[in-house]
Amino acid sequence: MDYIDYYKILDLKKDASTEDIKKAYRKLARKHHPDLNPNNEEANKKFQEINEANEVLSDPEKRKKYDKYGKDWQHADQLDAQEQQRRQYQSNSGAYSGGSSYSGGFGSDDFSDFFSSMFGGGGGRSSRNSPFKGQDYNADLQLDLLDAYTTHKQTLTINGKQVRITIPAGVENGQKIKLPGYGAPGVNNGPPGDLYIKFNISDDPKFKRKGNDIYIQEEVDLYTAVLGGEKIIETLNGKVKLKIPESTQPGTTLRLKGKGFPVYKKDNQFGDLYIKWQVKIPTNLNAEQKELFEKLSKF
Amino acid sequence: METYLIPIEDICAYHHVEINFIQSLEDFGLIHTTIKKQSLFLPVDELSKLEQYLRLANDLQINLEGIHAVSHLLDQLQNLQQEITALQNELNYYKQLNQPY
Repeated sequence: MDYIDYYKILDLKKDASTEDIKKAYRKLARKHHPDLNPNNEEANKKFQEINEANEVLSDPEKRKKYDKYGKDWQHADQLDAQEQQRRQYQSNSGAYSGGSSYSGGFGSDDFSDFFSSMFGGGGGRSSRNSPFKGQDYNADLQLDLLDAYTTHKQTLTINGKQVRITIPAGVENGQKIKLPGYGAPGVNNGPPGDLYIKFNISDDPKFKRKGNDIYIQEEVDLYTAVLGGEKIIETLNGKVKLKIPESTQPGTTLRLKGKGFPVYKKDNQFGDLYIKWQVKIPTNLNAEQKELFEKLSKF
Repeated sequence: METYLIPIEDICAYHHVEINFIQSLEDFGLIHTTIKKQSLFLPVDELSKLEQYLRLANDLQINLEGIHAVSHLLDQLQNLQQEITALQNELNYYKQLNQPY
């Protein structure tokens, strides 16, 4: 694990007073507190770093060890004992004058587990005494438009744990829902964090969604558009037979009330379905058909 | 559907908070409590809001007036984020219109 410069995190000089540390912590905590930055993972991470830094620097004992041993500060007692042993040895052997302070000789990887056990694997807030809410988890869930059309249950695996959630009909692309208590466990008996799920809804090649309304384009042949007729079309909840009035113009839009998308968390409320008629002009006409069209054009 | 209620005394004991603080939050219209059989209860769906206000007060030393202002601004922020999502989806709809069916 890389060395964390707690002074840098709190934007402080090494000789900062207790009051300076308190002020710096409060200033940065106000800026990055997760409650003031909803759905902002970056702020959440920053807040955890600030807490870690404050946890160490605001405690004179821990700060002293951190100043002396840097990244290995939590092994200070062990290092001090080694130092004492070394001095004892030097004094007994008389070979060295001693007096130099121990500068630490462990590789940065040697204590990575130690830091993570102290601060929690997920980098949770770091007080040994105060209860803190666990880390919030964020997850993305890919859905088809049809998945979002009906309320359904889905099982997700979040950090190795199976979580069964209900996805309400009508969720929007990009919408986030919060599942309280499904985040990381709390620290020192604090409450668990929350799980935020963001829905990514794929575009559908046929049904275009705008809010709760659905838009589609349907082809109608020239003869039906001119003379009128019927056509069966697919909607999101089944087939519907539509009457096409005579002289239907290209681009005419028809609205089917209540045949659109369900309104989020509102039972039995739906948007509308808009159908735009695209009149298909016949191609590859034979001689007889051409003649008939010519006759028509003279009327 | 019946709402699950939590006795305020339990919340005060768990969070080490004075009942006056909770009553003040209610006076500011930030949470709603219920009285049943002369005891004060918090509906369970108000709990996450209350815990958020407690964190703001404890972690950041924000007073009640500040919490009231923050809560109002967070509501506005949430509305704006929802509006951005809706507008992005609407923009996506128009982008799709330019693509061939």
